Amino acid sequence: MRTVLLASLRTHARRYVAAAVAVVIGVSFVVVTSALSAATKDGLVAGVGLPYADADSVVSAIGTDDAATVVRRAAAAGDSAAVLGYVPLPVSSGGKVADQDADIAPIADDPALRWQELRAGTWPSGPGEAVVDVNAAKTNGLDVGDTIRVGAGSRALEARVVGTVDSPSASAGGSVYLFWSDLERWSSSFYVDSVAYLGAGAEQAAAGTGATVQPAAEFVQERQAELTREVDVIAILLLVFAAIALFVSVLVIANTFTILFAQRTRDLALLRCVGTTRRQLLRAMRVEALVLGVAASGLGLVVGTVLGWALVAIARSQMPTGTMGSAAVSPAWYAGSFAVGLLVTVVAAWLPTRKVVRVSPLAALRPDSGVDVRSTAGRVRTASGVLALVLGAGLLVVAMSSNSVPAMLAGGMVSFTGVLVLGPLVVPALVRAAGSPVRGTTARLATGNAVRNPRRTAATTASLLIGVTLTTAVLTGLASSRTAVAGDLDADHPVDLAITSATGPLPASLLGDVQSTAGVSEAVALDGIDAEAAGLGTLPVIAPDGVDGVVRDTGLVVPEPGTIVVPWDLLPDGNVPERLAVTVDGRTERLLVSVSEGWGEAALVAPETLARLTADPLPRAVWVRADDAADAEDLAGDLGALATNAGVDLTDGYAERHWVELQLDILTGAVAALLGIAVVIALIGIGNTLGLSVLERARENALLRALGLTRRQLRRMLAAEAVLLSVVATVLGTLIGVLFAWVAVRTMVDVAVEDVSMVLPWGQLAVVVLVSGVAGLLAGVLPARRAARIVPAAGLALD
Amino acid sequence: MTQTMPETTSTTAASARGLTRTYGRGDAQVHALRGVDLDLPAGRFTAIMGPSGSGKSTLMHCLAGLDQPTGGSVTVADRRLEAMSDDQLTLFRREHLGFVFQSFNLLPMLTAGQNILLPLELAGRPADRERYDLLTDTLGIADRLGHRPSELSGGQQQRVAIARALIARPAIVFADEPTGNLDSESSAEVLGFLRRSVRELGQTVVMVTHELDAAAYADDVVVIADGAVRAHLVDPTADQLVATLRGER
Repeated sequence: MRTVLLASLRTHARRYVAAAVAVVIGVSFVVVTSALSAATKDGLVAGVGLPYADADSVVSAIGTDDAATVVRRAAAAGDSAAVLGYVPLPVSSGGKVADQDADIAPIADDPALRWQELRAGTWPSGPGEAVVDVNAAKTNGLDVGDTIRVGAGSRALEARVVGTVDSPSASAGGSVYLFWSDLERWSSSFYVDSVAYLGAGAEQAAAGTGATVQPAAEFVQERQAELTREVDVIAILLLVFAAIALFVSVLVIANTFTILFAQRTRDLALLRCVGTTRRQLLRAMRVEALVLGVAASGLGLVVGTVLGWALVAIARSQMPTGTMGSAAVSPAWYAGSFAVGLLVTVVAAWLPTRKVVRVSPLAALRPDSGVDVRSTAGRVRTASGVLALVLGAGLLVVAMSSNSVPAMLAGGMVSFTGVLVLGPLVVPALVRAAGSPVRGTTARLATGNAVRNPRRTAATTASLLIGVTLTTAVLTGLASSRTAVAGDLDADHPVDLAITSATGPLPASLLGDVQSTAGVSEAVALDGIDAEAAGLGTLPVIAPDGVDGVVRDTGLVVPEPGTIVVPWDLLPDGNVPERLAVTVDGRTERLLVSVSEGWGEAALVAPETLARLTADPLPRAVWVRADDAADAEDLAGDLGALATNAGVDLTDGYAERHWVELQLDILTGAVAALLGIAVVIALIGIGNTLGLSVLERARENALLRALGLTRRQLRRMLAAEAVLLSVVATVLGTLIGVLFAWVAVRTMVDVAVEDVSMVLPWGQLAVVVLVSGVAGLLAGVLPARRAARIVPAAGLALD
Repeated sequence: MTQTMPETTSTTAASARGLTRTYGRGDAQVHALRGVDLDLPAGRFTAIMGPSGSGKSTLMHCLAGLDQPTGGSVTVADRRLEAMSDDQLTLFRREHLGFVFQSFNLLPMLTAGQNILLPLELAGRPADRERYDLLTDTLGIADRLGHRPSELSGGQQQRVAIARALIARPAIVFADEPTGNLDSESSAEVLGFLRRSVRELGQTVVMVTHELDAAAYADDVVVIADGAVRAHLVDPTADQLVATLRGER
């Protein structure tokens, strides 16, 4: 049997290419996942312990005020404590914005607790001196000796850069380091991660704060475990996508084997005639699958390793400040990936091989009656498919009414299984329906060819159906949750960008300059006046008027007459008084207070209220609406320069809006790309089925050519078949995907955000349909070319 | 012969001059045809006979524009085939030729009726209802037209193939071992129909066969051996035919 096996492998090697490619993609996906997550873990975990290397204890789960208390008590007790955390603030230098959103972190007063590594200059010797991260300095054009302005408004701080440092700990790193005493002024927006404590008095220092005090080693261990878990969660998510890709591979491989064995029926029957036992035949077939699995999985390991290392190298070169460590794949992981690839191949080959050994020796002797491998959907299949569909739909209804995610997942899987089981009934009917409006003989022949073997048709389209269903479900789900997020963003950042003067009027030319800045869609100047607010000191009061075209959330920003809207930042300790007495030149108004934020350091009143406070208000703020396509960084830089030159502050809500939208774009893109891998495998499968069918139908195609079908018509017929299959799978998948997304939105987002409306990303859905239609066409090109090359006489002579 | 003459106007339906066909190169080179000169008269039922490997199928393929000759010329329905491009040949077959093969004649995904009308459809010509009814009635397949090939017997399948070959009133119908897979009763029917199409419809039929019984239905017999024409017998008697074939062995 060995000679037969080897000869058969040699002869049919080319026909296994598509199946092998499917396995290689799946296996390399798994390997790449490991390489990437190892590199991420390495980068994240590497520096975790550094800030605590010389500390005795760590105080964590602590607020800013309590952290300040711990630092004070430590100093009193003769110990030292260093706060670890950051506050995001704009940094400018020489009148130009260097970084609109820099992480400002503390540097320990006690040199023993400094974990940064000095690269140039000196350590800061006291308040008013800063060191800058070496990478951030490079990106933002800062250098030793520069004077930087940190923050905006009344609390802005001038500091001198005395040195640059390397920040080898990603978790505690910042762009600019200042003494804790300089940072305390931003305590309301400072985020404290933990406090490193050197000395024995940590317990006493933290007494009464409710914070956790641990030995440093224990804290570091816990933190590392936590970070590793977070990366693992992402790795598991990636593996889910890999599993989807591998499942699609199973369908492609099983289909390949089924077709190949069907084509070799006569060879196999001949083997049986000359004395091969059923058992020998079965073993030969399975060894063939095993060889394919070993070869493809091995290649997958190589491809995955190369790809994983390449991706990590690219990520590191693209993001020098990023947290990528070095890639690594453990031997166990390699073994696992290999085993998965092998298992997928062997499992996929199992059923087809079992079917093939039932061939009777007589089949070899029968004249070739042409290919007519019709299969039909049995009654059991129909019944079980309908049952799964009904059961799944029921679960989905339950999931929606009880907001149960497990029920939703179960319902989705069961109902989709139902669809797959019913595939041989549903898909050919849909193909026929899709093909019937197209006139012409080639179209009719293509339709006939596409549906002649319902099971093969269903199996071929199933893989694409899975990929497209998941892709459209995710795209639609994300688009729907996006509108919910957009609503939140509008409330948080009613104004894209605001230039506000803390004292005195704005220069007259500023509005014109802002309006002529690239990326500004509309800008409006707001009048206002400095007022004395009881208990708050001097407070700029401005009146939004005619700002409908600028603000994103009108109801929230424009106050009623008799009320005043105060930003959170300006209220000490977050205490909201019910009424506020506001005085301008002896005129006092007692105004109802409400609190909000998103336009800088000024209080808002109605134009009527402003008119009662002052007879001649002056422009105090410019509110800006950005173009939808405006680049957030350019805009912040340009307007920041204008604001700095005018000596006033810029509040940038657009950057965060832009950042959130970018995150959603990245998420959408990443998910689409990951699912794209499954779609690619599915399309390879369609090309493969078509290619094998073309071999199978060589005589039939020769007959058509003899009867007068031109080469071009033959090519067009096969292309039409490929497009029909992919379009039907895509359209069906899109429908199911959108339906699933609707269920998911009702089940999950509905709870978190009210009135979520279903949003169909028409553009994206159209792209999905178009891409898989075109890809289907491409999948059919090679088989069609090969089929058309054959001379009719040669095709007719084929056995 | 009846008044329903097919489109051919000359008395020669097909002719070959110095026709050669070589396969492969070097040591593996096979000369399937070594200079065939042949004229096939219109309105006649001609059988091409010869043993396996004699080149009779290759001759038919070249005459029918299914294969490109290596040398020589082929003229069918007053058109030179050897200079035609693949597309021109395809259109020529579609317009002027009909085919009946040994097996695998019908497209499995089409019904019998659709198979019969396929040549007209490919050529974009309207279905000739009258001829369709005439052919299907004559061939006794009128009640099987909605069935797919897998639901028909071998004899029925060949009758459907004959109807398809005749539907477009071709200049020549080529039949390649049309009875090779049939029992004797079905064979007799099929051969009878082919002969009737010549007698009653004025068609020209060229049939490749190695069976003496089949050749007996033909008007003329061309005997091929080793890639050349051994004899061209006009209205041979059975004895003449047997003698010629025996002489060749």
